[in-house]
Amino acid sequence: MILSYFCIYYLHIEIGYLIFTILLRMKRKKLFNLKGLFTLVMSVCVLAVSAQNITVSGTVTDETGMTVIGATVVVAGNASHGTLTDIDGNYSLSNVPSDASLQFSYVGMVTQVISVKGQSTINLVMATDAKLLDEVVVVGFGTQKKVNVTGSVSAVSAKDIAARPINNVTEALQGVVPGMNFSTGSGGGALNSNKAFNIRGTGTIGAGSNATPLVLIDGMEGDINMINPQDIENISVLKDAAASSIYGSRAPAGVILITTKSGKEGKNVVNYNNNFRFISPLNMPKMADSYNFALYFNDAQPDGNMFSDAKLEQIKAYQKDNSAQSMWPTSSNKWEVWDNLELLPVGNTDWLKTHFGNSFTQEHSISLNGGTEKLQYFISGNYLNQGGLLNYGDDNKQRYSLNAKINSKLSEKVKIGYNARFVRSDYDAPSYMDGLFYHNVTRYWPIIPVTDPNGFYTGDSKIYQLTDGGRYTSQQDQLTQQLSFLVTPIEDWNINVELNYRTGNNFNHTDWLTTYAYDVNKNPYVYDNATSGVSEYAYKSNFFNTNIFTDYTSEFGDGHTLKGMVGFQSELYNDRSINASKNIVQSINHPTLNTAETNPQNTGGYGHWSTMGFFGRVNYDYVGKYLAEVNLRYDGTSRFLQDQRWNLFPSFSLGWNIAREEFFEDYTDVLSNFKLRASWGELGNQNTDNWYPFYRTIRYNKNNWGGYYLGEWLLGGKRPNIATEGSLVSALLTWERIRTTNVGLDITMLNGRLNGSFDWFRRQSLDMVGPAPELPATLGIGVPRVNNLNMESSGFELVLSWRDVIEDFNYGVTFNLADSKQKITKYPNPAKNLGDYYDGAYLGDIWGYTTIDIAKTDEEMNNHLASLPNGGQSALGSNWMTGDIMFADIDGNGAIDGGEGTANKPGDRSIIGNSTPRYNFGLNLDGSWKGFDLKIFVQGVMKRDYMAGGMMFWGGDGGKWQSMVYEPHMDYFRNDANHPLGENLNAYYPRPNWNDGKNRRTQTKYLQNAAYARLKNVTLGYTLPAEFTQNCSVSNLRVFISGENLGTITKLSKMFDPEVLGVGGWGEGKTYPLSQTISVGLSVTL
Amino acid sequence: MKKINILTALLAILSIGLVSCSDFLDREPLDQLTPGGFFASEGDLAAYSINSYAFASIQPGQYGISTFGYDNGTDNQAGPSGSNIWVPGEKKVAASGGAWNFSSIRQANYFFDNVLPKYEAGTIVGNQSNIKHYIGEMYVIRAYAYFDKLQNLGDFPIITTALADQEQVLIDASKREPRNKVARFILDDLQKATEMLKDEPPFGKNRISKDVAHLFRARVALYEATWEKYHKGTALVPGGEGWPGNAEDIKDFNIDNEIQHFLTEAMKDAKIVGDKMVNNLTANTATREGMDSNFNTLNPYYVMFADVNMEKYPEVLMWRQFVDGQTTHNVQMELERNGGSSGWTKGLVESFVMSNGLPIYDPASGYKSDVGVNNTLDGRDSRIVIFTKKDGDVNYYYADGSANIYTKPLILNSSDTRAITGYTIKKGKHYDPEQGEIHHKGTTGSIVFRGVEAMLTYMEASYEKNNTIDATADSYWRAIRRRANINEDYNRTINATIMANEAKGDWGAYSHGELVDKTLYNIRRERRNELIGEGMRWADLKRWRALDQVKNYHIEGFRFWNTPYETAYVDANGKSLIKVDPADGNVSPESVSEYLRPYQIVSINNSFYNGFNFIEAHYLEPIAQSNFRQTSTDKSDLTKSIIYQNPGWPLVAGQGAK
Repeated sequence: MILSYFCIYYLHIEIGYLIFTILLRMKRKKLFNLKGLFTLVMSVCVLAVSAQNITVSGTVTDETGMTVIGATVVVAGNASHGTLTDIDGNYSLSNVPSDASLQFSYVGMVTQVISVKGQSTINLVMATDAKLLDEVVVVGFGTQKKVNVTGSVSAVSAKDIAARPINNVTEALQGVVPGMNFSTGSGGGALNSNKAFNIRGTGTIGAGSNATPLVLIDGMEGDINMINPQDIENISVLKDAAASSIYGSRAPAGVILITTKSGKEGKNVVNYNNNFRFISPLNMPKMADSYNFALYFNDAQPDGNMFSDAKLEQIKAYQKDNSAQSMWPTSSNKWEVWDNLELLPVGNTDWLKTHFGNSFTQEHSISLNGGTEKLQYFISGNYLNQGGLLNYGDDNKQRYSLNAKINSKLSEKVKIGYNARFVRSDYDAPSYMDGLFYHNVTRYWPIIPVTDPNGFYTGDSKIYQLTDGGRYTSQQDQLTQQLSFLVTPIEDWNINVELNYRTGNNFNHTDWLTTYAYDVNKNPYVYDNATSGVSEYAYKSNFFNTNIFTDYTSEFGDGHTLKGMVGFQSELYNDRSINASKNIVQSINHPTLNTAETNPQNTGGYGHWSTMGFFGRVNYDYVGKYLAEVNLRYDGTSRFLQDQRWNLFPSFSLGWNIAREEFFEDYTDVLSNFKLRASWGELGNQNTDNWYPFYRTIRYNKNNWGGYYLGEWLLGGKRPNIATEGSLVSALLTWERIRTTNVGLDITMLNGRLNGSFDWFRRQSLDMVGPAPELPATLGIGVPRVNNLNMESSGFELVLSWRDVIEDFNYGVTFNLADSKQKITKYPNPAKNLGDYYDGAYLGDIWGYTTIDIAKTDEEMNNHLASLPNGGQSALGSNWMTGDIMFADIDGNGAIDGGEGTANKPGDRSIIGNSTPRYNFGLNLDGSWKGFDLKIFVQGVMKRDYMAGGMMFWGGDGGKWQSMVYEPHMDYFRNDANHPLGENLNAYYPRPNWNDGKNRRTQTKYLQNAAYARLKNVTLGYTLPAEFTQNCSVSNLRVFISGENLGTITKLSKMFDPEVLGVGGWGEGKTYPLSQTISVGLSVTL
Repeated sequence: MKKINILTALLAILSIGLVSCSDFLDREPLDQLTPGGFFASEGDLAAYSINSYAFASIQPGQYGISTFGYDNGTDNQAGPSGSNIWVPGEKKVAASGGAWNFSSIRQANYFFDNVLPKYEAGTIVGNQSNIKHYIGEMYVIRAYAYFDKLQNLGDFPIITTALADQEQVLIDASKREPRNKVARFILDDLQKATEMLKDEPPFGKNRISKDVAHLFRARVALYEATWEKYHKGTALVPGGEGWPGNAEDIKDFNIDNEIQHFLTEAMKDAKIVGDKMVNNLTANTATREGMDSNFNTLNPYYVMFADVNMEKYPEVLMWRQFVDGQTTHNVQMELERNGGSSGWTKGLVESFVMSNGLPIYDPASGYKSDVGVNNTLDGRDSRIVIFTKKDGDVNYYYADGSANIYTKPLILNSSDTRAITGYTIKKGKHYDPEQGEIHHKGTTGSIVFRGVEAMLTYMEASYEKNNTIDATADSYWRAIRRRANINEDYNRTINATIMANEAKGDWGAYSHGELVDKTLYNIRRERRNELIGEGMRWADLKRWRALDQVKNYHIEGFRFWNTPYETAYVDANGKSLIKVDPADGNVSPESVSEYLRPYQIVSINNSFYNGFNFIEAHYLEPIAQSNFRQTSTDKSDLTKSIIYQNPGWPLVAGQGAK
């Protein structure tokens, strides 16, 4: 099995290598030798050369008889052979094969291909491209002409996300959809960690509920990370309540509608594409070397030195010559690592660099589609094999997907569709790779060598734990089946019936095996997991969803169009799970429950929820000029008790396309679309974390697994069952509501070259579930949550895009910018206690002290303290001296303190920044020229403050076990000219003292500017000329090279990545690094 | 067309079927218990009560020396840094949290609210005596929680039911009751407990027993009696000058009657346990090591504190067990291998008399000298001898039977493994190399209640009450001294006691700034010496009001200067590692003392360099700021709260007491 695995692995590498060599060769020859490349790749093809060539000329006009200036005329299939029409609309093109075709194209006009058939004059009337006007976007339970949309909708097409070396759809959307915000998940860049996202900023700060966008895949709720990106036809993001209210109480935070590809009538088309990715860690902080580390630790230790002069000499000696002695034995013949200061090792290791390195990923996709008028099919398969960055103890992930869709016309009036989609995701990593691992690997001392003097890995290197300490595997399967009927009893009346069913299965396995370290005499001893164990987790979910809706369109003549839709939707979700574990694995090769001996533990449970809703929509349209839409949804959910289960959610929107007014008629070529939009709507939120928020329960743990824990007070040598009172439930609990007002403007100018869209919104999250008014401690249990928070999010989204053709150069620029900020408008914190939100606070406000500077001398500090006669800085700490921070007396009370810790009495604290990412932007540049295409994508945040804390920022923070030194930490205050590192009076960091946090307050000096711009992607592709490829029945062959996360501009501290702020279970920044990817691949269409 | 209609109709029926299903949206939890159905059986009660155990003990997974270091920061024992208790102004009011917390009290009250009606109705299924026992346990648990409040905060609300989440109800319930009422309430709970608990609880002494309730009841009564006696007249006692409470609440309060009452109760309950203990104290063979290389017991008294199974010692009334594969700790990693970041003080070591019963300063004592730990401990009360690591003692045994030897105090180690004073703690130390060297292998038990305390309590309570050593106290005292291998005749010690000498190293020599009488002092000395390393000292010092005189007090350790230790710390090249430097030295200078002063080594970052100082406010903890806000009629005005702050403390976070 292992052998076959390797074979496949190497085969893939070779394919990757082949393509790589081709690209290298292209580079070396400078001039791209197309013929050579072609021969290499498609050597089976035979070149066919055409015969006679002639000159063709003519005039191009539009429908009104105006000449078209600058239209492109090329020989079909040879983009490099062409010309442009002149100021009179004339063109002339020589050397045209008499049997060739000419392609005429112009922005905003329908492209036409005319066979030359020996003619020397071809005059052409180009038609305005009605497609632009007919372009439709997917909206709730239907589609709508883009020009008629009155809500706030962003559309993303397949080509916007194609060809990027991304691992899932979420990654593709970052920076592409204005108003969508992304944050790195708790696992950092680990393969099983997905990015989280929201639409228009935090939707709720309510505890116990979430406002994550509803993701619908072909009309059914689904997992955005469990779909093959190649299967996607388009994505619509519904941002305001008017657009999303049709989905009722599951959609208050917006909706992402994913439509997958369907079969198309016509010949069978086969597409194969792949890519091979070379991955390396991104922005990994650098640990200080052993000597710098030791000096820092000596200075950070408040009492005396940890490293004696002799030890420092040994460290230096080893740095010079790594054959010098690096480790010393303890009295029990183990290698001393941590404790006995005289015997500490003197290695020089960067643990992050040791553990994280390069890796390789590959992806292959194939699709077939075609059909007749009666029956169309689409079948696709995808295989993604991701390699992780771990250097020891491989981590990897595979995704397999198989998708088949059949659409059939049963009769003129009935269409039936069936779609089955299977996705499997396999994740496999060392069981030791958890939060503790990141915690350890980021704080382990550089003096610990990777290998001991006998050549074994040191126990503390954690390498044996990664390689031999057991595995965590997770298999996730999802099978989605969708059956749909479309009945059209009479023209313009459609009845849709959709029956959707999804089953999900998870099986997770963890085993932890005994690992050994080696003593001085090379004898192994137990290092970790003295008791081996195995645990299994199984989870199954069933989701059944019915959508029945019908619409009728009626045109009344005189340009009045009325469209009505009513429908019904229900969802039922149920799940069950089983957990089991046992200890003492008998066979390390087969760690299963059946092969483990002792301490069986198990848990299992069931859950369910359901929703039901009735909805309706009326659209009115007068010649595309006046537009109106009304939505209503009456929604019920199982999450609430009967008396408040049902709720009505309305929304309204209006549009006015001024460009359609008569007075604008003459300017439509300059301004063809100028639409003002406004909408208002309200939605409820039933997305409570607890599926039964109204039921009080007793927590009774009879097992020690799966989130349940037995007691730790042993009885008779065993952990006992434990029970405790469950959380209180307030009688006042009810729905959260989200109300959105949106005003927008869409414009299309200059024959469709320039498109723009602007939205301003205000979203009120009302009656969010939050902490009750602070209650006296005599309650003795967590205060039950009630609906008592209001928040208002407001902001804007702007998209500007430009698309044009200059000769053969077709290019486009899309810039999007979005902003939102959230203000708390009601919060049960009348005292405005700063530990919590309060009325008027903005989400992300950072309260901190104002730094004057680091005191460079004792005298400077003493003078400063003397200027504060009412207590100096003693409220913040004691023993102030040189190298400590001098804080500013903001409130002028003659002392530095935190006041009463409230917004009204904050003492010397003030709002020094805000951590909400503001002005998120994306810039997409693309261009194509003679078969080459280039895409450059930059994404970033223009404004963000951040106060990082913990060891990764401060270095010495919480004693020697919780401190570590990275290179930037070495810029710390030293006032001793004889210090081995020299004096450093203008240091960034204050004098280190890992026991005393008085200098490590949130303060202006250390507030980070977390704004950034990241070169997210650059893709360069080349499509071989069709004249070559067609001869071997390849209609399209494209090769490309693409880079992801190529560069970043930021002022943020080097310890952090701007996309990974606030991540790390064991402390800020202690997580798996993000990665940088270079990929190459090809796409062949037959 | 027909076909299609049928199809459409079928689909419509299917969907209507879903709609009409009226209970489609009724979805209750499928796998969780609701409160109504719980507390129905013996097992439910057992599971609830064991989850409420919050007794001071070694904690699972704990590093450091745990309970054996709980006396750090007192005159007994020193940690790597002093406590901010000793720097007026440095200990500050917290923004939130702290002792003003009712979660464990609610946990008990919720139990009573639900269980007592069912118990009285006789509807709880199972062994009725066990059911009764578990209810009794919950009374001990509530009493234990309340005693913590009494010690830390004094006056405290008395709440006997799980309150609803209604602000006014909770504010009303926040009213502080005078501490004597709190103490009486605790004694009432414990009285009920003694009536319900079994002598032999299910699972033996891992659970609360009747004797535990008696012992604890005596502890509480003695605490309150002596507190009221010594703090009498101050703001820290109801009715005292400056007491912030409400005069109406102490209408019938007579402090002297109250003291007598508590002393009587203390004697009564202490005697019940003491009489069982007096002839059952664990034998002390006074051998240098407690175990041989096969971990066989050489000295039962020593091993009692480090045994993996403590069930066999009658003196252990309750203990917490640790089992590999279930829960373990890491306490032996420090106890066995290093200084544990702690150490006995010079004052403590010197308070132990010679085995002939004479204090070391007595001309006839035979005390050798304090040059070297072995000399210091030669001929002394065996408790300090067996519970201190002496040069040449065994740290632990290797698998081959050879020993890892403690050669000298590890005073230069980094602070978490350092022998802070040079006198290294040996109490609770096992000899198992696995527990010492491998993480999460610690399985030595943790004593929660030890019967000998009842005897000490009786001795002290009876003397405080009657000013004499009665026959019971006499027999107890002799038994304790006999077990310590010192001359039984306590009068020999009393007569030789010079209070001025004792006062130097024993804060317990004082109450309210004055020296106590020799007999009382020697009762206190006995208590101190018997309970070293058991975390009882701080409570004793507070209730005796023994800290008023602490001014610029320097904690000292072993004698370093002018002993062989001066030259014992060298590197591989024979170069001395000793450094005297207020910036980054590692020992205190000879100029300040011949004895190691752990807080006078380095002056930077050190608030204790000039010694310990105490102010009265520090006898009680401050209540955190948030509680005044939460109980105030005007949330932005802390002074409108129903709660009053403890004397000397401000309301606002970040400020210290005056």
